[in-house]
Amino acid sequence: MQHEIKKITSIVNELVTLLLQNGAEDIDVNIKKIGKKTDISIIQHCCDFSESFIDKMRYNLNTQRQCEVEGYYWQLVGEDEDCDELHLVGAMIDEVEVEMINGDLKIHIIRKK
Amino acid sequence: MGYSKVEEKNIGYKGRLMLFLSMPVLFLLCGIGYGVVNQSINTTIKGLADIILSPTILITDFLEVGGLAATLINVALVGFVNIYIIHRYRLRINGLLIAAFFTVIGFSFFGKNIFNILPIYFGGYLYTKYQGISFKDIIVVIMFGTALAPIISEISFSGIFQPIIGVVVAIFIGSFIGFVIVPLSSHMLLFHDGYNLYNIGFTSGIIGTILTSVLRSFGVMVEPVFIVSKQSYQIIIIMIVILIVGLFLIGIYINNSGIIEFKKIHRYKGRLVTDFTHLVGYGVTYINMAVLGTITLVYIFLVGGTLNGPVLAGIFTVIGFGAFGKHLKNILPVTVGVIITAVILGYDLSSTTIIISVLFSTTLAPIAGTYGPIVGLIAGAMHMIVVTNVGVIHGGVNLYNNGFSGGLVAGVLVPIVDAFKKE
Repeated sequence: MQHEIKKITSIVNELVTLLLQNGAEDIDVNIKKIGKKTDISIIQHCCDFSESFIDKMRYNLNTQRQCEVEGYYWQLVGEDEDCDELHLVGAMIDEVEVEMINGDLKIHIIRKK
Repeated sequence: MGYSKVEEKNIGYKGRLMLFLSMPVLFLLCGIGYGVVNQSINTTIKGLADIILSPTILITDFLEVGGLAATLINVALVGFVNIYIIHRYRLRINGLLIAAFFTVIGFSFFGKNIFNILPIYFGGYLYTKYQGISFKDIIVVIMFGTALAPIISEISFSGIFQPIIGVVVAIFIGSFIGFVIVPLSSHMLLFHDGYNLYNIGFTSGIIGTILTSVLRSFGVMVEPVFIVSKQSYQIIIIMIVILIVGLFLIGIYINNSGIIEFKKIHRYKGRLVTDFTHLVGYGVTYINMAVLGTITLVYIFLVGGTLNGPVLAGIFTVIGFGAFGKHLKNILPVTVGVIITAVILGYDLSSTTIIISVLFSTTLAPIAGTYGPIVGLIAGAMHMIVVTNVGVIHGGVNLYNNGFSGGLVAGVLVPIVDAFKKE
């Protein structure tokens, strides 16, 4: 895949933008590159999103990897105000977990090169 | 934000592929049937040869060039080639692919034929080999990228070169287009930020402008033509109605509550990438496609338009993008903007040029979906003014002229509208 680094930063950008636009004030981002795999963890502390918002985020991120969509549209990733366009990120990742633990929203993403 | 997962029947990959396949099969049977009943086999074969050997520059209506039977067979052949590729690479049948397939089918009525699309596919294949990626990843872009197919026919058959040399040069240029269209189209998205659904139209407009300028600098004149059929064929109307009713019934079969859930689709802005098959499911998506098809057909009858090649391309493209960003709420303001402007400027609403401008203006649906009906109306008005003037720039080698215009309008209008927004 070309532009691997840019794609990873676009994914993080999209998710952090979404969280900030929806009122997040405390976010941790962790990126680990292990061989051909990139592991992205985003934690929003003291999160008060509704269950339906989180369900929608989980559903749209679980689009399944679609290289044909990624190859063409990845440059559009980066400015989503709600979850509607999040499935473009979903098309660029291999695995995702979205869960609320003790009031913190944890998004764990794996992208394979 | 209300949200519920989509509950619907799964007709499987084969079922969805069969839906695609039913179209070219229908066209082939009708084409052969019409040819056998109304003319000799030789006339049909000659018609097909005329289609393949014509320069196909914008606007060359195959119904006028080769007749109905040959045109339907051409549409079927182009459809079969694309279905073979889709099946061979097991492409996921999502909104993007549905939009691409319907667009290719539509433009096989004017501009695309079995000869002029293949070099672009070949160029795309070379690009994947060069980059070490799978051809599967770029097939959809290449399907859209056949917008520049007329340049291959133009170089081959317009007398610029000796016939054989012309074909060789055209295949080389077509392959080059296929090679560069993927990175270029991805980059061009940044100009309009996803607010122009026919992004390849914008990309092809830019490439076409450069290629035409090169040809013109060597003294080769490339100018748009206007060869369109003035006849609406009853058999085509019947086929379109069968397609629309079929989509609606399959939509209901897949999702029993599809009609109730249909309203959900209107809350999406439609900006790239809005894949309705994922967001609202296949059932509601097919219903949306049927509704858009019905509206376009009714509009054409209301203004007294002719169902010729370009208009059919418009219908198929609108139906196809009913799976990928378009719905009634976001297309109406734009189309009304085009219609009002056309009336003010004194254009005939029943003319083919204005009808296709109305239909293809829906490329700007995401602007209405995001910024509301007033801005959508302005976008439509701007589109009407721009689209009637940009064809001459690329000399008609870009079939998606409205996509070119849409990109220019969106790229200028969106930042202006944003300038008036406050935090």
